[in-house]
This record gives sequence, C-alpha cells and structure tokens, in this order.
Amino acid sequence: MKARLYHMVIILTGLAMLLSACGGAATPAAEQPPAAEEAVTLNIIVEQVPDYDIVAELTQTFMQENPNIKVTFDAMPYDAMRDKILTSFMAPKATYDIIIVDNPWMDEFPAADFLLDLTEYVKNTPGYNFEDYVAPVRELTTHDGKITGIPYYNYALGMIVRQDLFDDAAMKEKFLAKAGRELTIPKTLEEYLEVGQFFQENGIAGAAMQPQRGYKVFEEWKNWLYAEGGNVIDADGNVVINSPEAKKALEMYIEMYETAAPPDSLNWGFDDALRSMASGQSATMISYNWMLPALNNPEGQAGELAGKFALYPVPGGKAVLGAWYWAISKNTPNPDAAWKYISWLTSPAIDKLRVEKGGAPVRASTMQDPEVWEKGYGESYYTTVYEILSNCEPLARGVHADEISNEVGTFLNAAVAGEMTVDEALAGIEAKVKEILAK
Amino acid sequence: MSFLRIPFKYRLLMPMGLILLAIMIFPLGYSLAISLQDYELSRIGQERFIGLDNYIRLFSNSSFWTAMGNTITFVVLAVGLELVLGFFLALLLHNKATFMRGFFRSTLLTPMFITPIAVGLMFRFLLNSQLGVIPTALEAIGLRVNWFGPDLALFSIVLIDVWQWTPFMLLLLLAGLESLPEDPFEAARVDGAVGWAMVRHITIPLMRPIILAAVIIRMLDAFKVYEYIYAITRGGPGEATESMQYFIYRTGFIYFRAGEAAAMSFTLIIVITLLVALLFTVLRRESA
Repeated sequence: MKARLYHMVIILTGLAMLLSACGGAATPAAEQPPAAEEAVTLNIIVEQVPDYDIVAELTQTFMQENPNIKVTFDAMPYDAMRDKILTSFMAPKATYDIIIVDNPWMDEFPAADFLLDLTEYVKNTPGYNFEDYVAPVRELTTHDGKITGIPYYNYALGMIVRQDLFDDAAMKEKFLAKAGRELTIPKTLEEYLEVGQFFQENGIAGAAMQPQRGYKVFEEWKNWLYAEGGNVIDADGNVVINSPEAKKALEMYIEMYETAAPPDSLNWGFDDALRSMASGQSATMISYNWMLPALNNPEGQAGELAGKFALYPVPGGKAVLGAWYWAISKNTPNPDAAWKYISWLTSPAIDKLRVEKGGAPVRASTMQDPEVWEKGYGESYYTTVYEILSNCEPLARGVHADEISNEVGTFLNAAVAGEMTVDEALAGIEAKVKEILAK
Repeated sequence: MSFLRIPFKYRLLMPMGLILLAIMIFPLGYSLAISLQDYELSRIGQERFIGLDNYIRLFSNSSFWTAMGNTITFVVLAVGLELVLGFFLALLLHNKATFMRGFFRSTLLTPMFITPIAVGLMFRFLLNSQLGVIPTALEAIGLRVNWFGPDLALFSIVLIDVWQWTPFMLLLLLAGLESLPEDPFEAARVDGAVGWAMVRHITIPLMRPIILAAVIIRMLDAFKVYEYIYAITRGGPGEATESMQYFIYRTGFIYFRAGEAAAMSFTLIIVITLLVALLFTVLRRESA
C-alpha cells in the first residue's frame, strides 16, 4: 500500500511538472491592473526602419517626463513581425502592449477583435486634433465605426527621379529631336514609357522596377493601374480587374520592364531598386516617398549623387497608399499607460518634432508648417508628399487584404516573366480574388 | 488497476513515454485534428469541423501541386548532384596520395557551417546582374546568364543547395569509406582490379547502406528548403521556385489559415513517406 502511494506521488509530481512547463503564463498577479502610480513597462513591437530610430530618440523625453512608465522596443525586420504580433494577441497576457499595424492588416486585426477601441480615448484627449490626419490615411484607422489605429508614418508611393538628367541640356536636346517635345517629368504612362526608353538608349536604365513576386510587384503596378483609371475591386465590392484599363496598364508595365529596366531584375524588391538608383544606374523609380531624403543624404549610399534626386507624384497622379498605425493590444494589462504614450508621441507638437528629424509625415498641419520645411527637407518635398497623400488608395482593404496583395503579385510577376499572357494573368487574378473574398 | 501490476520494464519506459506524448504525439494529433477543421488563427472561436474538405480542396489547388512538383524536382536534382559530387570528393580525400589531403578535408566542410539564410543572401548578391561578381566575371568571357529568370531560377536554387550541402554528403561518405573492411579491396587487387572497376564493383556495393542513409538524411532536409527561396525569389518568377515549405508557411503564418496549412503538411508527410519507401525498395532490390 505504502509503495503504491509512493509510486502514485512520483507519477503525479512528474505529470504536474510537465503540465506546468506547458502551461506557464497566467498567474493571478498578471490579471490585476496596476495602480496609477505603480511602475509600468510598455513593450512595443516595431519595424526596424529610419522612422523607428527617431521614435526611440523622442521616447527618451517621454520617459523623463513620465518616470513611472518605462518603454521598451522590440525592433525587427518586416517579415518577422506578423506572426509575432499574432502570438502576442493570442497569449493570455499580451507580449506587446503596443503594436504597429501595417495598412493591409487594419481591417483584419479589428475584425478578429485583437485591438483596443480607441474612439473614447481620442475624443477625451484635449488638443489631439484627429481630423488633422490626411483623409486617406485617417480613413484606414476606423473599422465598423471604431477607431483602432493611430497613424504612425506614411509610405505612399511617388516617383523619384534623377533631376540632373532631366535638367541636362544635352539630354533635353536629344529628347526633343527624338520625341518632338520637351523632356519633362512624365505625367502619363505613355510619357513615362517614352522617357524610360529614351534614357535606356542613352546609357542609363529608364526605370529601376520592382517586379518581385508577392505584394512588391503589385505595390508598383497598382500605380500604373490607377493611371489608366482601373482598380482591382470597385467601391461596391465588385472584382473589376479583368478590364481593358488593367490590360493596357499591364502591357505597358511589361513593355517598360523589357525595354527600359535594368536587365534580369525580375526578382528585384525595393532595396535592389534603391541600390540601382543610388549607384547611378537608373534614372527613375516608383517607390516610397521617404526614400528621397535617404538618397539625397550626402553621407548616405548615393555618395556624390546626393542632392540630385527629386520626388514627384506618380504618372497619372493617384498613388498607392502605404501607412503604419499605432494600436493597443486588447489583452494588454496597461491600456491607459499605452494610450498616454501613443497620444504623446502622435500629438501635433511631438509629431512635428518627429518629422523635423526626418520622419515621414501623416498630419496635414505638419506638412504645411514652414518651420518643418526649414528644419526638415524643404518646402517642395513636403508639399509633394501632401499632394501624393491627398490622392491615394491602399493596395487592398478588408480582412483578406494581405492575402489578396500577395496572390495578385504572383500573377503579375508570372506575366512579367512571360510565364503567362496578360489576359491569362488578369483572368487568374479575377478568379483568385473572388475565391479569397468568398472565404 | 494497480500500478505495481504493470511489468517493471513498462514502468521504466513510462517517463520517456510521457515526454514523447507531450512533445511529439500530442502536437501531431492536435495538428491532425486542426487539419480537419476550418481553422483560422484570426478567427479563434469560430472553428468548425469540416471532415476531409481541406484535403479534398488540395486536389484542385494547382499552386499546391506546382509547389509539390518544384520541391520534388529540387530534391531529386540537389540530392543527386550532392551525392555524385560528394562521393567523388570523398574518394579523392580517402586516397592517401591526394595533395594536401588534411587541408582540403577541413576547408571543404566550411559551407555547411554557415546559416542557410546567410547563404541565400550571399548568393542573392553574388548573382545580382548589376552588382554581382559572378555575372560580371561571366560577362568578361561573353556569357550572359539570367540566374533568376523563369528558366533557371529553380536550378540556381539547386546549385546553391549543392554548394552548401555537398560537404555534408562528403562527410558521411568519407566516414563510410574509412570504415570499410580492407580485405575485399586486397582480394580485388590480387585479382587485378584497378581504378573504376574497383569503385564500381567493390566500393559502391559495400557503401550501399551508407549511401542510403546519407541520401535519406539529405533528402528529408532538402524537402525543407525555405531559406534560399525566402531570401532570393520569394517563390517567383511566377511560381517557378515555389516550394512546399514556403507555400505552407504563407498559408499558415501569413494568411493565418492553420487548417489548410495542416492539411498540406500531412499531405507532404504522406508524399515523403512514399518516396522514402520507394527509395528503400529500389536500393534493397539492387543489393539483393
């Protein structure tokens, strides 16, 4: 009897140890919200980008002003973020109190009930001026009438060109002789193609393109689609991609790739295109507007070419919008401290400081502030960014935006590679998007 | 039921059994259960049992079968090349007359100590047509190769894998060669066998079990190809380098559709098991 009991105890202890090792986490202490004065640590997941360095620097001031709130960042590359964020949401207690949300996730995460409703917080924060965010960026903050994200920075697409080539007298003369018109910044796809091919004939690639499979090629091509007046899904939710506009836009995109892009650049992403511009091998690229300051930085990778780059709206005028948002995990034990931090960082005054230090703007007041122009990158840069942001739309919306972007990009990349025809690609996209939307 | 009535040997096995249950059998069973459900990580609480639907839908999912085809092509080409090269190098290094044998033994092994993601990034730059050393060198002799174009991309990934993992094959085969008995070789020499005849009729038959083990280990590893594709092509151009692991990763961790991803994983396990069984049968029959 005694021996049996002894064995049972050993086995039960072993089992208990195993189970506790698997379970872990939820201790009663973690469920109690901390008292107001108690020291709080906010864990934030961020992407390792230039804007993060500025935020980290500004946060020092916040911590000095609020000694009871400690802010720690977990900075990582984009591709590592999505699954980490998901595991944090699903844990009994959030790993990350504050997360940053990319715009394709701005419908998905609230629909899954992962994010805290910030509507009341925004309303009750004096002087916050939420309407100041540029409309297309602001629209994405709201899901089902609730504000769940606060704009962090924008990455809307623009056209970055080598201004010195467009101003070069010999180039201008040659272009006039060839095309019968002045060499100007392209405003339509036809002009863009013509200018691209002209540069290619004159020893420099016309456009550093980014036809890499996945969301990348879609992010570039959708600007072309807008230029022709097309879209993937219309305002009523119909899939309208298989259209003459899309066909023309894709045919022209492929023609540009074949006749004016650097050779063998089928798997190029934005970093490859940036290197090509920085090393003087390409004359234009459609990319994130915040790359202009990076290229024009005399200590940056463009070296002596720094200062020769300029930013314009994409041909056709309407651009793809990209933006990041701050959001609070619904399962954080520290929602008030988290809002205190976010509302401080994104307040008009601190946002202005962030942009002056080189951050990508999201508030209209910041972009129109002469002091920002002077301390930042000059009036023309901010007015161009404002112009871009006033006329832009994200890659996709809805709970499956991320999947749609990636799958559309597979067909586009295959079409550019010559693996399928333009008609096949567009029909394929139409079927795929319908299939995803039906899920 | 008395615990003491369980035979002593099984009681001794219990701790290990419990550990296996917790870390292997339970997760496998759980993922099998997930594969039978409409289970999305972003819709927790709304999962429902759908039987074999996830599996049935895979049959009409052309991307899945493209990925399967690519992965099998990749495994056959990569492991085949690694075996041939590895065996050749192992023979050279086994031969005591080889020049600087000790030096080559250690340096030839270095690629396999590099983390695969770094190898992927290295080759992405080395083969970049604007910045890369390899295209520049080839252009100097008048050759223009689009390494990551639709025709060559998968083969380029195979070459990268061969670069990194031939050393592993070499290591296993060399260890095998050194453990072979001397007598059959001496007997063959007495009978007048030299060079290729010796390798063909003595070395290879004796090495068969070791080759089988090496091929299976490498094969299982090659089925997991992910890093090079992630770092270089992201499965493109089109679906030319889409691999099973990248496809499953995207479905499960980017699109959060755990049910579908689990069904894909189990289908992959079935295919791999069939291939391993086939390999065993073929090699066994040859040795019989």
